[in-house]
Amino acid sequence: MTTKGNRVSPAERREWWLFLLLVGPNLALFAIFTYWPLVYNGYLSFVKWDMLAPVKIWVGLENYRFLFTQAEFRLIMLNTLIFTIASVVLTGSIGLAMALLLNQALRGRDAVRSIVFSPVMLSGAAIGIVWIYIFDPRYGLLDMLLGFVGLDSPNWLLDTAWALPAVIIVHVWKTVGYAVVIYIAGLQAIPRELYEAVVVDGGGAWARFLHVTLPGLSPVIFFLILTTVLASFQAFDIIKVMTNGGPVNATTTLVFYLYEQGFVAFNAGRAGVASIVLFVLMFMFTLVQMRYEERNVHYA
Amino acid sequence: MLEKTLSRRTLLKGMTAGVGVMALAGCAAPVAPAAPQGQAAAPAAQALTLVLWSSFTGKNGEAETEVVRRFNESHSDIQIDYQFQGSYEETAQKVTAALQAGTAPDISLLSDVWWFKFYLNRALAPLDDLLEAEQVDLADYQDSLINEGVRQGVHYWIPFARSTPLFYYNKEKWAAAGLPDRGPKTWDEFMEWAPTLVEMEGSEMKTAAFSHPDGASYIAWLFQPVTWQWGGKYSDPDFTMHMTDELTVAAGQFYKDTVHTYKWARPTKDMGADFIGGLTAAAMMSTGSMGGIKANAQFEFGTAFLPEKDNFGCCTGGAGLAILARTPAEKQPAAMTYVAFASSPEIQSFWAQNTGYMPVRKSVLDLPEMQAYFEEFPQFKTAVEQLPLTQPQDSARVFVPNGDQIIGKGLERITVQSEEVATVFAEVQATLESEAQPVVEALRAIEG
Repeated sequence: MTTKGNRVSPAERREWWLFLLLVGPNLALFAIFTYWPLVYNGYLSFVKWDMLAPVKIWVGLENYRFLFTQAEFRLIMLNTLIFTIASVVLTGSIGLAMALLLNQALRGRDAVRSIVFSPVMLSGAAIGIVWIYIFDPRYGLLDMLLGFVGLDSPNWLLDTAWALPAVIIVHVWKTVGYAVVIYIAGLQAIPRELYEAVVVDGGGAWARFLHVTLPGLSPVIFFLILTTVLASFQAFDIIKVMTNGGPVNATTTLVFYLYEQGFVAFNAGRAGVASIVLFVLMFMFTLVQMRYEERNVHYA
Repeated sequence: MLEKTLSRRTLLKGMTAGVGVMALAGCAAPVAPAAPQGQAAAPAAQALTLVLWSSFTGKNGEAETEVVRRFNESHSDIQIDYQFQGSYEETAQKVTAALQAGTAPDISLLSDVWWFKFYLNRALAPLDDLLEAEQVDLADYQDSLINEGVRQGVHYWIPFARSTPLFYYNKEKWAAAGLPDRGPKTWDEFMEWAPTLVEMEGSEMKTAAFSHPDGASYIAWLFQPVTWQWGGKYSDPDFTMHMTDELTVAAGQFYKDTVHTYKWARPTKDMGADFIGGLTAAAMMSTGSMGGIKANAQFEFGTAFLPEKDNFGCCTGGAGLAILARTPAEKQPAAMTYVAFASSPEIQSFWAQNTGYMPVRKSVLDLPEMQAYFEEFPQFKTAVEQLPLTQPQDSARVFVPNGDQIIGKGLERITVQSEEVATVFAEVQATLESEAQPVVEALRAIEG
């Protein structure tokens, strides 16, 4: 730039204005609603504040010390980990199985595709309420189905061992349709010739899956892992409606804890620390993913 | 390539979120709508519009809307803009956020566990001058209720939807078990009755004799009187905690035993639904649940005083109305006009009959329509008769930030997880003590 001196051609200037016009509004929104809260939240994690008092008391690392030495917080991290891994693995594998099935020329395929996708469009709160009834151990639908095979329904939402699996089931049920749609799009982008080549080489269905489908789907799988991990980190509505983080803390995940500390206990400092932990986790995960993507994802 | 797609996606997401937040902010602003509620008798041109935030749904919500409609109809110069905000907790959250944004309502319903937080932050207007100007007869309010909202001789919180725990029982189940048509006088008596009320279906308990709610449904409120009945308590008014006292632990042990030793009670997510659905023969629930139970139960139900152990004990609860300190001085008298109206004998008679909340005025009890209602619906009379025997709750639940949930989660660990009571209560006590510290300091600062 400097070599050209200060002379900027009118065309360049126009381009610069156009750039500003197009990017400016987004950038402004980002700055106001994402970057500034992020910075401010960092500040809040060092204070003690009930979100009402005119004074915020600076406590340094006290909020961090409090959280990291608490057994409750370790349980919450564990819940978050279990919820995320289970959701991602189940959504990914069940979604892939369904997509493979729905990619065949079957009768009623389109109708089934729509049905599978529909939970994605429903509100999590509404789904949560319906599933409370489904899970009820005394008059719930699931109890009835389990009864047919001679099993007793666990007390899903009131048993600390079953509540987390219950919310995972609902979360997977809600998101699997999204994975199916993405997978199907990916499957259809895989060139037919590649399958034919495997057949010519004498490979069976398994070989076709292993050597064509899976590598062909790798960008899609990568994308799905990224989005479902981020979505499970942030899953809130289903948990809020179905268990409210309970019984005791059995379904309290990091984001739910953040809400509880912030908006039930009104402890801005602890909520601030929790959201920093959440941010760091998501950020690190994204970095690792990007690094991995460079090496292992095959784009067609 | 993918990276680009992603960032565009996030950008879009960010934008929608941004727009969402702006829309939300718009909602929170105290827009004074031109359209007054109801068919008000042509309000004067410069009618003052006041914003009221509240928390009632279902039958109670309809009743409150009617209270507001009657007010607007009878006051041409003041219009109340009634805005539903969600549960007690959600209302408190929104008031907190709105105070930060400078968009708080003029009047808000605040529950027993929330008003104090706003008092501590000097967000509530002192009401004595306004009460006097409005000529409100303070002596006519139930003493235990009106006095709860007083700090250092100043009124901040006027009782409106006040409740107490009450013992409810399913008369059909009682008759089937051959029990007398009354509640148990003591817990010892109920211990004898309870096994006959349990209905099994194979190895599963179909109908429990009694049920416990979860922390979110205020188990800490319903357990409060039980601690007193055993001779224990959560805390003293000066925030000295008593969770680990022998008698408080004994009361906790009883709760645990009902589920895990005697096996005639169980934890539930929705006590009201369980009682209405015949899944529990009896329960302690708020008097404020009575309207819904009356409307939905397909069987006759009875109500009774809470059972006794070594003592009788029953606490108050529910919500009251407060005027926010930031409400402009010229609007405050009008706000008090509504508060006085909502807690007036006539309105309290209507409100109590439709919801089951306690009439907060003494003179309501003498109104002919209330007498007639007692005749028709003696279950409600029981609740009113229990009222003079109630006392305000311990500071640990209502004044310690999140105290209700701290105690509630502890109780869940006992009823749901069957943990050792003494251990759990010791942990709860330690948490309560550290969380109470800022309140103790703040109180010292503003009350000396």
